[in-house]
Amino acid sequence: MGLNYYQIKKNVQSARKLVIRATNTAGSGHPGGSFSMAEILGCIFYKYLKYDPKNPTWEDRDRLVLSKGHAAPGLFSNMAIAGYFPESELDTLRKLGSKLQGHPDLKCPGVEFCGGSLGTGLSYSVGIALAGKIDEKTYHVYTIMGDGESDEGQVWEAAMTAAKYKVDNLTAFLDRNFIQQDSYTEKIMPLDENLDGDEPSEMWKDASRWKTGDKWRSFGWNVIEIDGHRIEQIDAAITKANATKGVPTIIISRTIKGKGVEHMEDNPQWHGKASDSDVVPIIYQELDSQFMIAPSIIAGDMTNLENEIKRCVTGRADCIHLDVMDGQFVPNQTFDHAKIKELRPLTIIPFDSHLMINEPVKHIRNYIDAGSDIITVHAEVCDESSFGEIHDLLKQNQIGVGLAINPDTDLPNWSYKFIPTLDQLIVMSVVPGKSGQKYIEKTHEKMRRLQHILIEHKFTGYIEADGGVTLDNIGSIFADGARAFVGGSAIIGQQDVRGAIREFRNHVMRSRRKILLDTANELGGSELVKKWIGLHVVGEKQDQIKKIAQEAKYL
Amino acid sequence: MNPPEMTDMRTEYSKALIEIGRENPNIVVLGADTTDSLKISEFGKEFPKRFFNVGIAEGNLVSLSAGLAASGKISFASTYAIFLPGRAVDQIRNGVAYPSPPGKKGLDVKLVVSHGGLTVGPDGGSHQQIEDIAIMRAIPNFRVFIPADTFAVSKLTKLMSQEYGPFYMRMARSKTPVVHSESQDFQIGKGITIRDGNDCTIAACGITVRMALEAANSLKQDGISCRVLDIFSVKPIDAELLEKASRETGYIVTCEEHNIFGGMGSAVAETVSERYPSPIKRIGVQDMFGESARDNEVPLLLEKHGITSLNIANQVKELRSKKL
Repeated sequence: MGLNYYQIKKNVQSARKLVIRATNTAGSGHPGGSFSMAEILGCIFYKYLKYDPKNPTWEDRDRLVLSKGHAAPGLFSNMAIAGYFPESELDTLRKLGSKLQGHPDLKCPGVEFCGGSLGTGLSYSVGIALAGKIDEKTYHVYTIMGDGESDEGQVWEAAMTAAKYKVDNLTAFLDRNFIQQDSYTEKIMPLDENLDGDEPSEMWKDASRWKTGDKWRSFGWNVIEIDGHRIEQIDAAITKANATKGVPTIIISRTIKGKGVEHMEDNPQWHGKASDSDVVPIIYQELDSQFMIAPSIIAGDMTNLENEIKRCVTGRADCIHLDVMDGQFVPNQTFDHAKIKELRPLTIIPFDSHLMINEPVKHIRNYIDAGSDIITVHAEVCDESSFGEIHDLLKQNQIGVGLAINPDTDLPNWSYKFIPTLDQLIVMSVVPGKSGQKYIEKTHEKMRRLQHILIEHKFTGYIEADGGVTLDNIGSIFADGARAFVGGSAIIGQQDVRGAIREFRNHVMRSRRKILLDTANELGGSELVKKWIGLHVVGEKQDQIKKIAQEAKYL
Repeated sequence: MNPPEMTDMRTEYSKALIEIGRENPNIVVLGADTTDSLKISEFGKEFPKRFFNVGIAEGNLVSLSAGLAASGKISFASTYAIFLPGRAVDQIRNGVAYPSPPGKKGLDVKLVVSHGGLTVGPDGGSHQQIEDIAIMRAIPNFRVFIPADTFAVSKLTKLMSQEYGPFYMRMARSKTPVVHSESQDFQIGKGITIRDGNDCTIAACGITVRMALEAANSLKQDGISCRVLDIFSVKPIDAELLEKASRETGYIVTCEEHNIFGGMGSAVAETVSERYPSPIKRIGVQDMFGESARDNEVPLLLEKHGITSLNIANQVKELRSKKL
């Protein structure tokens, strides 16, 4: 137990696919709420929760209570990944004789709470936590509640009880996705500040009007507010919550219902509906195409890297790319582990450290100590034994493992055995050493070729494109198979980092939509293309996707 | 009959809780701002760490009890009858009865209430729970006890603490007449033949057991030999005992402090009609609500609904012509 950032992310995506599979097979179920809490559940399951699938009633286990029980497919999918039962059992969801009931049920070993009747899970959790206190156990209770569920008065009864009895061995999550069965929460029963003339679907965008945290604070709770889809924020919040004594903690997590599948996102229709079989392969492909934007700070002001980090934070980078150059493996010199250690406290955004140094195995421990979420070393300066040592050390320390290859290098034969457990492969598209170079065109072909090899060897990590990535080529690099993009001068070199990152994302999204339309067209011709487009009903997505389809002559 | 000794059920319940609490560290007791009235605060004084007062929040009370039970505790949750089945039926149904760990039925929660039925008196109809047996009997995995006196309360409390699973037990507000002896044995699903007879059966539970005995006594003077059954275990019900009574005495009069729909009388009628049908008369609240009555007026309130020994005797006589 205790996976790194990349592995958690991977499991979260696998779980989302399993939710689609299970609800599609069942013909009903709740994907929307399963997806809004996907990262929360992933972080709890694979980093914090103490459990033993082989001994589900282990006395000292942590308890996970899914109060918003309708999101059962999300819970069951993670339980399958965690090893409570085989993934194939998810196909029995909601069927006669299955232990996977429509709502979580004690029939299924490992499930702690019979959900379904909303508003009762927090009281139940307080009961479990109090039992732990009586028995002087050290287990922790994690409870996930919905925002629609917060309409129930009993939630607030439980809130008072937890504060009265100082239940600090309980951490609650509010999956604040702003949607309940009928419509937007602010339309049905506002939790936040609701003003006349508000468009309920837009309200969530104005964080200054979020008052739910104040409600919980006034009930005597420790309140932490986060973006519930950012694993590093969830991670930090849980660490903080677990260290808070004397009061219960609630982590109010701003989430998006249906997160991960564009047509489900922020769409109340997907509260409780299963996807049709013909669109399932397209959804799988969409879920497999999650991507990250990683600004490279050396493209900025080298004399004030602290400020570059701050710009990445306000720019909402997915991770921060740190190019370590030793002046030997590459002609330039940037900084070393000492600088990373200095920068680490400035943000919790994952550090993607790229070591362009000789003999990385000699220095790896320093970099582990400095604090990174993933460390990538170059294949040119490793062999099977030294990379094996690096690989194992990083895994032991819950740090992602990356391998990088230069433009003229191919994946060495010794590296194949590591492919299944590799979290990232950096494919350099410029000769490493300095920023501002142009993308080497033949990298397109190389990446596509590599992608086949990687799939064959069961790679589940990210291909990261590094060097010369711009708005002009990012779409095609994504189509080649890259899922992480280092942005040097094209991001950090810009005045408005946030705007630049947003544009990067938009271009990738456009490329992704095109690829998904290709798939729809291939699988079901214009009928399926039309159906797929028709699913996108929120905002301007439909028109945008239609335009791409028209350009591709699919309509 | 001599005037009976009157004893207080809540006091006995509290004593029994403390006794079992001393023997079993897993016993926890929960209340909802009626803990002094129910006298369970006494348990809290001896075991402060195992006692929780959740305030006026009965749904929370039940769900909290369930959470404790799911973590190895035996939860006794208590308040007035009107606020448990009458208010928190969802939490009871979905939170206690339904969740069944593999190999078990329901969670280990005992709901023990006071102030059942009309004898609540002055608080009025809003506080007189006359539907609880019907509600609790309809929920799978629940067992339902209506003790007649303090011996029953004490023994059933101990019995529940030793038997896994959900139970509902209803006590009366006022002191109740002693009808059993200390040596009386109580078993789940076993009625008690408190007096034997061959001409008729009177089935009673709770405060009406004493009335049934009084009726039987007066009927004896008319030459009618009545069998009196204490159906304290309304669910599971003692089908064998009832079948035997139906066969041997030819008809049955039931009497309870509950609506005639869905209560002990209904349970008896359902059982008898399937196993050995004989005429049955149900005495109880006639599908209407109660009302305020000062303590000394409570007998008059009961009389309004025919819940008296006199009416029991009358019904026994009236139905006699239809006897099998």
